[in-house]
Amino acid sequence: MERTSKWRWGVNRWFVLLFIILGAIAAGYYAPILPHIQLPAERYSHTPLFTLPVIGEFYWTNTLTAMVLADIILLLLALVVRGATTRGEMVPRGIAGAVEALLEVLYNLTETTAGKWAKSIFPFFATITLLVLVVNWMELIPGVDSIGILEHSDHGYPVEEIAPGIATIVKPEDGAEHNEEGEHGGYSLIPYLRVLSTDLNFTVGLALVSVIMTQVFGVRALGVGYFSKFINVGGLFKRPIFGVIDFGVGILELISEVSKILSFSFRLFGNIFAGSVLLFVIGSLVPVFAQSMFLMLEFAVGLIQAVVFGMLTMVFMAQATAGHGDHGEEHAH
Amino acid sequence: MEAEAARLIGAGLAMIGTIGAGLGIGVLVNGAVQGIARNPDAAGNVQTNMILGIAFAEAVAIYCLVVALLILFVG
Repeated sequence: MERTSKWRWGVNRWFVLLFIILGAIAAGYYAPILPHIQLPAERYSHTPLFTLPVIGEFYWTNTLTAMVLADIILLLLALVVRGATTRGEMVPRGIAGAVEALLEVLYNLTETTAGKWAKSIFPFFATITLLVLVVNWMELIPGVDSIGILEHSDHGYPVEEIAPGIATIVKPEDGAEHNEEGEHGGYSLIPYLRVLSTDLNFTVGLALVSVIMTQVFGVRALGVGYFSKFINVGGLFKRPIFGVIDFGVGILELISEVSKILSFSFRLFGNIFAGSVLLFVIGSLVPVFAQSMFLMLEFAVGLIQAVVFGMLTMVFMAQATAGHGDHGEEHAH
Repeated sequence: MEAEAARLIGAGLAMIGTIGAGLGIGVLVNGAVQGIARNPDAAGNVQTNMILGIAFAEAVAIYCLVVALLILFVG
């Protein structure tokens, strides 16, 4: 076993060296250029897929493909873990063991924070964390954001064919990670895949789910009395001065609840979008090797943002179930 | 070209707001590390709250970043 891993390490070292040299050669032939960066997700075609009566036209965007891919990865993960548990292994190994360890950490965290509500809150926490984690780490795969369709546009680059016979789709030919934007010219590139977190629709949707389910948990735990946290008229007649202050605090709670949506969605979106722009810029400035460092940074950022998104959801839900005796330490910003 | 220059300057100015977030995170971690040093048993609890606080402080910086990105890449 030990010998095998040693052997593999010896070979991997040469692979890394080979990729660095190949990358340097490829960068000499086709220097990477800064791609055209746009905020909304790119559409595959200019004709809408179908039109809905109220919402409007529906386009299939590349972030939507990324979402389908992330869902498939999560489902496969779930099937693997299910297979391990139905086989009756007391100590799951491999991927199942890793997932078990991760979920155990998350569950213990939920239990210390939420107490008896841990069983209902945990699914949201774990689902959001796992989904955001898979989606963020998709940024690290070479080819995401860099392989795609070439399209005419105003701010394009001159085109150059690499492989003969392929006029519209140009594949980057070396395996190193640094050719983030491929060779697009005359045209601008529409990647097949783009990181899902760089689409505001995804982050706003997730934030809406999180905030609305927080209210649902509050009502489940405290009944209609939960809303007296926001519209606090109880003390208005008994204690005139402090009653008014309490009422004002209630209004502030309401505002902070709405601003949670903003802060949730922009935190995830801003971090990941800035990360991918950073990768583009570094890749175009220093084509060889430098991007690896930043890929490591993005690895950490993706993990931290996933955990923060899930943990904030969990803490807000725990607070909503705890009644309004002890709030005040956390507001949305 | 004038508008282009103004956009670049504006994006740079928008990022000034991150000074506050940087100071805030510094103060936060300072307090958390002192707390852990005095009471190492409470490290887990302090760390959880520290990360939450950092996330809140960082959100302000991210707003600045989003504004800068919007100025640069939209319109």
